[in-house]
Amino acid sequence: MRLLKTGILAAGLLSATVLFAAGKIFPYQYVQEDLPNGLRLITIPTDYPNIVSLFIVVGAGSRNEVEPGKSGFAHLFEHLMFRGTAEFPPEKYQAEIQRAGAASNAFTSDDLTAFHTTFSKEDLPRILSMEADRFAHLSFTEEAFKTETRAVLGEYNKNSANPNEQLFETLRATAFKVHTYRHTTMGFLKDIEAMPTEYNYSKQFFDRYYRPEYTTIIVAGDVDPKRVRALIDERWGAWKRGSFKASVPAEPPQTTPRTAHVDWQTETLPWIAVAYHGPAWSGATEETAALDAISRLGFDQTSPLYQKLVIDEQKVDLMYAGPPTNLDPELFGVIARVKKASDLPAIQQQIIETTEAFATKPVDAKQLEQLKDHLRYEFALQLDNSESIASTVAQYVALRRTPEAINRYYDAYARLTPADIQKAARKYLLPNNRTTVTLSSKEAR
Amino acid sequence: MGRGTSLQRRSTLALLFTFAACTASAAPRVVELPGKSPLVTLRIVFTTGAASDPADKPGLAHLTGEMLGDGGTKSLTYKQIVDAMYPMATSVRVYSDKEMTTFVGETHRDNLDKFYGLMRQMILEPGWRADDFARIRDDSLNALRVSLRGNNDEELGKEELYNVIYRGHPYGHEDLGTASALQKMTIADLQDFYKQHYTQANLIIGIAGGYPPEFLARVRRDFAALPEGTVDRFDRLPAPPRIGHNRVTLVEKDTRSVAWSLGFPIDVKRGDPDYPALLVMTSWFGQHRQGGRLFVRMREARGLNYGDYDYIEYFPRGMARLEPQPNLARQQQIFQIWIRPVEPPNAVFSLRLAMYELDRLVKNGIPAEDFEKTRSFLSKYVNVLTKTKASELGYAIDSLYYGIPNYTEYIKTSLAKLTPADVNAAIRKHIRATDLEIVGVAKDTDAIRSALLGEAPTPPAYNSAKPQEIMDEDKIVERFPLHLRTEDVTVVPVETVFEN
Repeated sequence: MRLLKTGILAAGLLSATVLFAAGKIFPYQYVQEDLPNGLRLITIPTDYPNIVSLFIVVGAGSRNEVEPGKSGFAHLFEHLMFRGTAEFPPEKYQAEIQRAGAASNAFTSDDLTAFHTTFSKEDLPRILSMEADRFAHLSFTEEAFKTETRAVLGEYNKNSANPNEQLFETLRATAFKVHTYRHTTMGFLKDIEAMPTEYNYSKQFFDRYYRPEYTTIIVAGDVDPKRVRALIDERWGAWKRGSFKASVPAEPPQTTPRTAHVDWQTETLPWIAVAYHGPAWSGATEETAALDAISRLGFDQTSPLYQKLVIDEQKVDLMYAGPPTNLDPELFGVIARVKKASDLPAIQQQIIETTEAFATKPVDAKQLEQLKDHLRYEFALQLDNSESIASTVAQYVALRRTPEAINRYYDAYARLTPADIQKAARKYLLPNNRTTVTLSSKEAR
Repeated sequence: MGRGTSLQRRSTLALLFTFAACTASAAPRVVELPGKSPLVTLRIVFTTGAASDPADKPGLAHLTGEMLGDGGTKSLTYKQIVDAMYPMATSVRVYSDKEMTTFVGETHRDNLDKFYGLMRQMILEPGWRADDFARIRDDSLNALRVSLRGNNDEELGKEELYNVIYRGHPYGHEDLGTASALQKMTIADLQDFYKQHYTQANLIIGIAGGYPPEFLARVRRDFAALPEGTVDRFDRLPAPPRIGHNRVTLVEKDTRSVAWSLGFPIDVKRGDPDYPALLVMTSWFGQHRQGGRLFVRMREARGLNYGDYDYIEYFPRGMARLEPQPNLARQQQIFQIWIRPVEPPNAVFSLRLAMYELDRLVKNGIPAEDFEKTRSFLSKYVNVLTKTKASELGYAIDSLYYGIPNYTEYIKTSLAKLTPADVNAAIRKHIRATDLEIVGVAKDTDAIRSALLGEAPTPPAYNSAKPQEIMDEDKIVERFPLHLRTEDVTVVPVETVFEN
């Protein structure tokens, strides 16, 4: 479920007229090529001078944490990757990043782990070498491993003051019984606390997933694709292919509505999440686009429900919705923060009615066309630098390993009709497919 | 001037005039960065903010900004504005701080006329409707009590640190105000503030991207409708007094872990001779979300928490941002250490370790061998800070305000001249390991208070063996003197913070 619109879609810099006439929403010419070991390289020369943004996407996220008790390991690995190698111990790695004046970080989601660095173009060869070294030769002691598990617990702790985290954790654990989307990317707290004893498993996790066939390198910016390919061949060519395939259990169909409540220990406004099992992300059919359209037409700032609850009645101060955008079937969800606990049941009912009404009443064709305009400009406004371009491509690489997925998805959106939207709603936005979670302060109940 | 930058000569002179002659400038200051991009960014900045709040109305500047940015105009309701913006996928965002209130809009040039028409009305012809006011005041109250006080221990600690350092000073209240003052505020208060402070003298017009050549003249003409007014002056604010000892404020809250922030005011801001030297120091000691001495010793070597950083400029929302937001310029800054939440058994040890590292920094300076690396980092990292036209424009506006050249040039040129000796001299002059204000957000404040005031060492609890060097250092750190007397440690229930 895409909870926030920002950061997922992206934009180009051609004028809208050129952009839309060309038929492809992703405006950059890119080169996509596969090395014999299975590593994929996507090079995207952009108009922005001097800067290069490198995203290394590993197609393993918390979805891949298939063994019980091992949730959170993909994210732990995001941390461990900074623990160094024989050639580049952490302090030497950091010194190189520093010398390059690079902005460097990493993130993990359900379906991917991404390592990104943005720097001046002259530092590309050095940084590619250093990255190749850590992906092939990561080496950490048991003591370093244990120390890093505490940094991860620290991350859980700093998140834990925010009720949104708990709301989302509970929503996932209630809606999913079998699939690994049951846990968030952080993992279950009990698994995080037990991490220090799992040194051997961590080696296994690395051996399985930090392999060329799971990895896509995106290089965007002031670059020449031929030169980048030569560097990648030279530095990443010897990395050995693996053979592991995770068998992620399929979630059985939900047969009755589910609910859960979270008691929050300190002052907060009540929250509500209403979610429905949806399909896996697809650019080949209209389903993902249809659910995205429902999330926007039903709950965006211009929607009747938002205007009623937030602007007129002022009973809700935050409301947003998102479609499922994952590799496996995930959730269509609506989240709202309510000003008074006594209003929770009525607001919950209105969110449910609004969502499920898309199955019975077709959307207005004119509104749908306005939404399509909105999307095109949203896309055009977001890609304003090489890092944003690479970051956008990374989101789609986790799904299909190619920027072409962006074009396919927006093509499907362009074809979307009110009937498609109604069809998707009839298939997914059903009472038996629904999970509702509320959260409020103990005193407020 | 950097690529595409043209701080107008007239504008720069206007700024110098403003600050040198202490007189209102008639013409608004303008920063323009024309370019080929089809996107256009507008940043309309008023150099007014929470430091101009009347003493009995903390939060007034912020609420006034929100009312313009998130409310209707004379001719359009808020709903009509939202509906009109939607097909263009844009909006006007507003944020404010002590000395600046900033309205940001970004649009594709296809829609520039229509978008600007809305933005202009929002700033120049506010609607002042009662229903908008009720919603926006609720939003501010909830931002204060729920989002900040209830749901974000780290930001709560960081903001409260500013409040204790600037007690009795125009900076000494949260930008959002206090809950009690917000509840008493009226639309008339906002209108008064608007009349007095939304003036040409306080205005900076910023524009970047692919706008047509004649467009700027139109913006200038439109904003000439504002009263000329006088400049809000912040350069003569008193410095906060030196407290003479360490002081701890413990905010008591039911929470899993303990968040610390500590610091003191510094007499250095962007443009001052020692700013580049302190920038090198702060990067070496704790570059935001990138590492540094504190990060290496606290997180990497010991696994105490998620990260540890330091700052010489205000940097709110650091948990969500990798790079700082521009247009939060201040005439007065603090040096600050941010210790991300630690497990309660390691709370006092972690604080001691940060103070021990600060003490070493003051005594030893930064190692000569690290100087070059840090300087090289900052000289290149400045390109990352200004990687979008929108951020470049924000930095250019700040540069105008501080009276310095283009930020990239300023940093590169001044770093090139810097020596390790300059950095260490600046550390000795401006940084100290004593007279610290310390804020902790914690559940068991009794235990922490006792540990802070007690004589017993506070050793760390680890889950793995540590190298001998760390164990030896821990023996020193666990007893590192905190110099606290009973009266220096105050416990504050979280419900009272930002309340009055």
